[in-house]
Amino acid sequence: MQTSARLEGPTRSLIWRGGIVLLFVVAAFVPTLLLQRLFPYPFPFLFFGAVMASAWFGGKAAGLFAVLLSTLFVDYFFVPPFYSFSISTTAEAYFAAFVACALAASWVSSAKKRSEQALKEALDQLEVRVSERTAELMKTQTELAHLSQVLSMGELTASIAHEINQPLTAVVTHGHACSEWLSANPPNLEKAHQTVQRIIQDGTRAGAVLARIRSLFKKEAPTKDWLDINEVIHELTTFLRDDAIRRRIAIRTDLVPGLPKVKADRVQLQQVVLNLMMNGMDAMADTADRAKELLIRARGDESEIVVRVEDSGMGLDAEANERIFNPFFTTKPHGIGMGLSISRSIIESHEGRLWASPRPSGGAIFQFTLPVHPRDSDD
Amino acid sequence: MTDARPTIFVVDDDASVRDAISNLLESVGLRAKVFESTEAFWKAQRPSAPSCLVLDVRLPGVGGLEFQEQLAKANVSIPIIFITAHGDVPMTSRAMKAGAIEFLMKPFQKEDLLAAVRHGLDRDRIRRDEQAEVSVLQARVDQLTSREREVMDLVVTGLINKQIGAELGLSEVTVKAHRSHVMQKMEATSLAELVRMSDKLKRRDRR
Repeated sequence: MQTSARLEGPTRSLIWRGGIVLLFVVAAFVPTLLLQRLFPYPFPFLFFGAVMASAWFGGKAAGLFAVLLSTLFVDYFFVPPFYSFSISTTAEAYFAAFVACALAASWVSSAKKRSEQALKEALDQLEVRVSERTAELMKTQTELAHLSQVLSMGELTASIAHEINQPLTAVVTHGHACSEWLSANPPNLEKAHQTVQRIIQDGTRAGAVLARIRSLFKKEAPTKDWLDINEVIHELTTFLRDDAIRRRIAIRTDLVPGLPKVKADRVQLQQVVLNLMMNGMDAMADTADRAKELLIRARGDESEIVVRVEDSGMGLDAEANERIFNPFFTTKPHGIGMGLSISRSIIESHEGRLWASPRPSGGAIFQFTLPVHPRDSDD
Repeated sequence: MTDARPTIFVVDDDASVRDAISNLLESVGLRAKVFESTEAFWKAQRPSAPSCLVLDVRLPGVGGLEFQEQLAKANVSIPIIFITAHGDVPMTSRAMKAGAIEFLMKPFQKEDLLAAVRHGLDRDRIRRDEQAEVSVLQARVDQLTSREREVMDLVVTGLINKQIGAELGLSEVTVKAHRSHVMQKMEATSLAELVRMSDKLKRRDRR
């Protein structure tokens, strides 16, 4: 079968098929001719083998051609009268039986071949589909991992807080113990000394935690791709929809199709937009006198795009406008106060700006810009 | 029993935190025993001395709050002081309702921890003293005959001998004899003292 792959074009294929049929039939003919001398009756069975082999390797047409050739050979050489195409009356039934059997053999062989080929094709198709589905699954998995990366920012900060709080607790407690050892009468200097050593160890450990976190952020150098900001916003509104419904907040978007793409780190940008949206939703927790509405608007021109997140919440006082971007500034009872600070540094690392302003009809507006052609863009 | 040195058990999965707490307790002359998990504490031998438990809320395996419930179910009464890095109101109120001494946020101040520990030890000491006293009283009660016990039960309700006699179908003289045996065996010097003893026993039975 591999030979067939080398032959191209219908003519060459025809010649090749004719050739193998001839080969098989001759291969059956020669021994039959020799056997003819041993047996008192005609022995044409080897021709069935030639027919079946021809049909298997050459297909239906080759099978029929082999039947024709075999019939001619058998008629001429092995059916009385010998060495003539005429057939004696006694041999007619015998000859007919031979032709019928040859035809049947050809048909069985080519049908079997066809069904095997169909099976092989089905298997190949199945394999293709499996690999397609696997690719799809892997894509979904990557997307999920992506999303969990965005989500885990809050968890990450909580775990950082815990990691640092432990050595800090040890430092404070050892500090108290040290002052006790020193104020004992007489002071237990040995214990005090040991305690100070532990304070140094625990302080160093807290420092190591911070260094590890810093390297974590550094290592994940932003991978910037060309992004459609509308897509990012759309993803996040979909993602927050259930939460918004539960909190009776209407999320509206005001997007312009075909905004220029920006070169940005997808995860980081999602973090910023998600953070602004969550802040807006949190700010409306106590809003009772007006509709709770979160509006996300994106506009752009050839130089930059501007994304605005507006809420109808408690708003900002003028002096808090800048302080809210300081690390650890928070108005939420369980907030850590890192969201806006991190968001601003993300936007600034993308050569954009992030700022806040009061909304005239009550609430706050947060907006950021991203340049369409950042300086460090390499394409 | 009370002369054994009080012990403070500390369970925290962070080695440096439990060492620091143990160091602080040691520096004010208290004995501390540290464990890295509630399981390790549970398996350990606990001396019969006044003790309390400084317990981290977030632990691998059985956490602090869960362990508090387990102890209560197993009838182990040891005062608990919780320490946690991130507690919230529901967590605190759950722990306090279940009888915790204090709920401290890490990092805590020395005074807060020591005050809580001393409070815990006091509570445990009182409980142990009471328990010891009750078992002494129980030993005395066990010496009483069943008739004497009946008489004692009626005496402490405030009935006079004559009423007790009528109640139990005895003569006043017999009641009087039983009564003096009761006072003797219970080592009570007055009726008031006998009443207090009986109260203590009854309180234990109610628990």
